[in-house]
Amino acid sequence: MKNLKIKILLLAALLAASQLAVAQPKVGIDGFVRNYTGMLYENGDFNMLQNTLNLNFNLMGDKMALKANPMLYLYGIDSLDFRMREIYLDLYFKSVDIRVGKQQIVWGKADGVFITDIVSPLNLTEFLLPDFDEIRIGVYAAKIDYYFGNSTLEAIWKPIYAGNELPPPGSIWYKPPEFPAPPTFDYSKEKIKPSLDNSEFYLKYSLSSSAIDFDIMGAYTWDQTPSMYIEKQIEFDSLGNPILTGLLITPEHHRLWVGGGSFTSTVKSFVIRGEAAYYNGKYFQTADPKAEGALVEKDYIHYVVGLDYGVGDLTLSAQFIQKVIFNYDDYLDEEHYANTMTFLARYEAMRQTLHLELFSYIGLNYGDALIRPTVVYDFSDSFSIKLGANIFVGDERGMFGRYDDNSMIYMKFKYNF
Amino acid sequence: MKTLKITLATAVILLAGGLANRMTAQQLTGREIIEKVYNLPTGEDQTSDLTMTLINKSGSERVRKIKQFTRDFGNVEKSIMFFTAPADVKNTSFMNWSYDSDKPDDQWIYLPALKKVKRISSDSKSDYFMGSDFTYDDLGDRKVDDDTHKLLREETIDGVDYYVVESIPKDEDYMYSKTVTWIRKDNFIGLKKEFYDEDGELLKILKIKKFEEISGFLVITHSEMENVQKNHRTKMELDNIKINTGISASKFTERMMMRGI
Repeated sequence: MKNLKIKILLLAALLAASQLAVAQPKVGIDGFVRNYTGMLYENGDFNMLQNTLNLNFNLMGDKMALKANPMLYLYGIDSLDFRMREIYLDLYFKSVDIRVGKQQIVWGKADGVFITDIVSPLNLTEFLLPDFDEIRIGVYAAKIDYYFGNSTLEAIWKPIYAGNELPPPGSIWYKPPEFPAPPTFDYSKEKIKPSLDNSEFYLKYSLSSSAIDFDIMGAYTWDQTPSMYIEKQIEFDSLGNPILTGLLITPEHHRLWVGGGSFTSTVKSFVIRGEAAYYNGKYFQTADPKAEGALVEKDYIHYVVGLDYGVGDLTLSAQFIQKVIFNYDDYLDEEHYANTMTFLARYEAMRQTLHLELFSYIGLNYGDALIRPTVVYDFSDSFSIKLGANIFVGDERGMFGRYDDNSMIYMKFKYNF
Repeated sequence: MKTLKITLATAVILLAGGLANRMTAQQLTGREIIEKVYNLPTGEDQTSDLTMTLINKSGSERVRKIKQFTRDFGNVEKSIMFFTAPADVKNTSFMNWSYDSDKPDDQWIYLPALKKVKRISSDSKSDYFMGSDFTYDDLGDRKVDDDTHKLLREETIDGVDYYVVESIPKDEDYMYSKTVTWIRKDNFIGLKKEFYDEDGELLKILKIKKFEEISGFLVITHSEMENVQKNHRTKMELDNIKINTGISASKFTERMMMRGI
């Protein structure tokens, strides 16, 4: 209820401010309609029958702007999912911009990986397959940017917690964990009440210069995916031997301190990028019998280095990503070093009306991969067709190989207006 | 979308004008003539709306629209462009800082779908701009010393006297083996330019269709580049041109790229 009140107040503030601040605003409406059909090529099932309407309403004046981005997803014939992806008000001052409302906030220099880019949580209900602007979930936040010289100081207050959305049971992307005994879930601790105490705070300094662009960030936030506190339920047989009869699992979020930064620079035809963050307060699942709730707190570092190269109509890009857990022990459920690479090759043909792309994630620990070839043809300035495949290969223990039953081909028709 | 680079200097690709340059100088060399083209005064800052129409061999058209701002800061010229059409690139913006020295340009692009500004490489001057028949070099970035210039002859066409200058790239691997430019003697406006491919065959012809005097500067407002080998062409038109309006330095920042127009 309190959550709802805050949302209503924010919306009311947006509307009231828009009435007060608009002087000869420019009004714009644009968006797209898209049809998306996907088929699993293992069994021919249509795993995706989706029609989408995306609308962007913009009201822009010299000292303010208002944006609303409702999005409608129609699955199958009548399963409708409405999302207000963004609705916010901008106020512009000489050296300060303020944005309040529901907004997507994107940080960092890496592509397709989320290291310092932790303000907006992710919609992972279809794994990493949707376009990146659709993966991010808008957050209720107040954001202030202060500009001085080539520098920007950005502060964010997020009063309402939003976590990653995970695939629900029944989804082809849901992989239930294996338990040694029947689990019972207690969701009483999963919700985080909106309050000042539970707010999240983010701060970033960034510099954009001829030689280099870089930023340094810090955050006091919540882990966007809950840890599973596991309590064993034990009974004793007639001989007095303990028997594991069940597990009580309590999902719970923990506070995280995060510090990091990113940079990008150019050398001739190359663009060099890097991004790293240190996470303090993360709880990992462990098999250590001495660990309370099968959880243990460890710090870790997550970083990426990348190189882009462009020549003519060809663009090539590669990134190496590593996650390292400190004070590692063998009881942990995760690898000590998790190594991943991404590759991108993109070619523009026919006066940039035919776009060929090959993007892939490669898990180096288990030799698994997600390979994503696409061909897009622009029939006109507004209308395009996309043919693509999502190919999962490799060891099923890897985060990509585990979905090897979900390899699919798909087609998207898109009309922009 | 491909990397983008164009400034309002587009308008003066072949243009040299102003009373100061008007001289009868039969003794000028090819290099001196091209220098006069290159050193044309263009004002301290400029704003315009650019419409590019891409026409393929069957006659079908695609239209790209851009709002652009440019300002000369002395040793660096900064420009920022906002794409307004077609719909799929609307709100994309592009910023370029071009230096008088040999230092490569700095370039950034803002993609609204990604919601972030990305630094991009500027090394490929031979790339075509937004699928058009213009390369970045064609759009005014090429320096005088990149080519060896030779005055081929003088011609009179429809009562107007021209210098005809041949320019051969010093870089043998460059995409053109040579260009030939027809430059008016009275005001140093180039009205036609031919581009020859690496085999010495005619590849493209640029024609200036219209130029105007705006705030004391001569500006090309309508030009057309035709690829004679592939039989497609690009029309480029400038509207709402404003010169020396005092564009703020803060216009050429990431902040403005993300805010849009």
